Amino acid sequence: MLDFAEELKKFQPSLEVEDIEGAVYQEDLTDMTDILREMIEQTK
Amino acid sequence: MEYTTKLMYQSNYWYNDGLKKANIRDMSGAVTSLRRSLQYNRENVAARNLLGLVYYGRGDVVEALVEWILSKNFQSEDNIADYYIGRIQEVPGELESINQAVKLFNQSIELAGQNGEDLAIIQLKKAIAAHPSYVKAHQLLALLYIQTGQFSAARKELRTAHKLDTTDEITLRYMHEITQIRKSRPSRARDRGKGGEEKQEQTVTYNIGNETIIQPASSVFKENSGLHTFLNIAVGVLVGAAVMWFLIMPAVSVGRQKKLNEQVVSFSDRIATQEAQISALKTELDDYRANSEESEDLKAQSASTQESYEIVLEVARHLSAEDMGDKEMMEQMLKVSPDSLGKTGRQRYDEVADTLFPRMCEKLYKTAREEYEAGDYDEALSSLEKVVKMDEGYQDGNALLLLAQTFEKKGEQDKANIRYQKLVEKYKGKEASQKAQKALDGQNEKKDTKDKDGRDGQDNQDDQDDEGGQDDNKDS
Repeated sequence: MLDFAEELKKFQPSLEVEDIEGAVYQEDLTDMTDILREMIEQTK
Repeated sequence: MEYTTKLMYQSNYWYNDGLKKANIRDMSGAVTSLRRSLQYNRENVAARNLLGLVYYGRGDVVEALVEWILSKNFQSEDNIADYYIGRIQEVPGELESINQAVKLFNQSIELAGQNGEDLAIIQLKKAIAAHPSYVKAHQLLALLYIQTGQFSAARKELRTAHKLDTTDEITLRYMHEITQIRKSRPSRARDRGKGGEEKQEQTVTYNIGNETIIQPASSVFKENSGLHTFLNIAVGVLVGAAVMWFLIMPAVSVGRQKKLNEQVVSFSDRIATQEAQISALKTELDDYRANSEESEDLKAQSASTQESYEIVLEVARHLSAEDMGDKEMMEQMLKVSPDSLGKTGRQRYDEVADTLFPRMCEKLYKTAREEYEAGDYDEALSSLEKVVKMDEGYQDGNALLLLAQTFEKKGEQDKANIRYQKLVEKYKGKEASQKAQKALDGQNEKKDTKDKDGRDGQDNQDDQDDEGGQDDNKDS
């Protein structure tokens, strides 16, 4: 049996058009290259 | 191999995986693969563009725009993201309507959290109507339908969401949940029609487009629509007849009665008027008749007067000429009405009468006495009446007395009494008057005696009757 409240929590508000600019700036663009680079620098 | 190359290969691998999943509408899987692709290489423009496209396919247009903008940031030239963004902005108002749908969705989440499921459902329906490919809205709506027991509607929403994203976990879980619920209610009769109609014990639920129609199940009674219609018509006719009888007919009767009454009043007035006219005409007729009688009387009187004048003149002429007997002249003169004559005529009449009447009275009186004593009362009466007519007081009323006595002898006591009374009144002091009085007194005595005898006789009869009654009592 579904728990309505729990299921409802899984629904997050969607982005509106006004939020596009903020979403673009906040997008995490870290990829593996960045991680490896960090790892190399840390090992150095 | 350089790690950068390996990373690129990995990124491409996951891009390809995402592409395959996107082709079979496995949007959730495609998102996962494409995000992984971008984790390996954030500058994989193709993956980013595809990710945006997948987001767009799920209805997350704003998320798609973000990815395309980032893609343009990495590759501003010759980038299909331009085309995608251009297509969205091409139709004026489309982006705005999508934005509105997103806002309604966000509002629905808040309403659902505040126990406003019905309002949230309304908002979500609007959002879906504005943005039909919005998977999240379908899912949330399905959840709300499940919460409110509208499982058929929930199933429909989930089918739509499933078509848009075949492997969405939420969609699949909700569908499984509905299946479980249906299995847990075996007593419910399920009948799927072509339109997805389900019959329940008390309600029938079916969907038309985005709308869910729930109506009470038809009962046996209601299914007999023909009988129901007939009964309704019959009841309506009865009610109409009752309304007519109790409300309209009395008013109509009152109206008719009022008319009749008015007619009766009118006729009564006319009758009264005509009766008045008739009465007036009758009065007028009576007047005319009276006038006619008066006219006749006047006419007769005129004729009598004329005749009287002629007789007087004729008798005067004969008296002068002495060519007619006294008796004949007397007979003629007795026909004259002295009162109708004028002054001259009366004078002439008196002259003749003074000459003729005394000698005729003497003759007739003498004859009458002889006839009286002879018992010839009829002839005596005839003579005496002529004498009295010529001279009522002839011989101080003795002629009148003899006339009364003659009537008395004939048995005409009433006529006799009239003459007696006249003598008593008009000839007081005369011998005839005294005799008349005596005669009247004598009659009164006789009458008293007769009455007394009659009373004594009645008393004796009563005494005899009483004695007889006493004897009878003694005997008994």
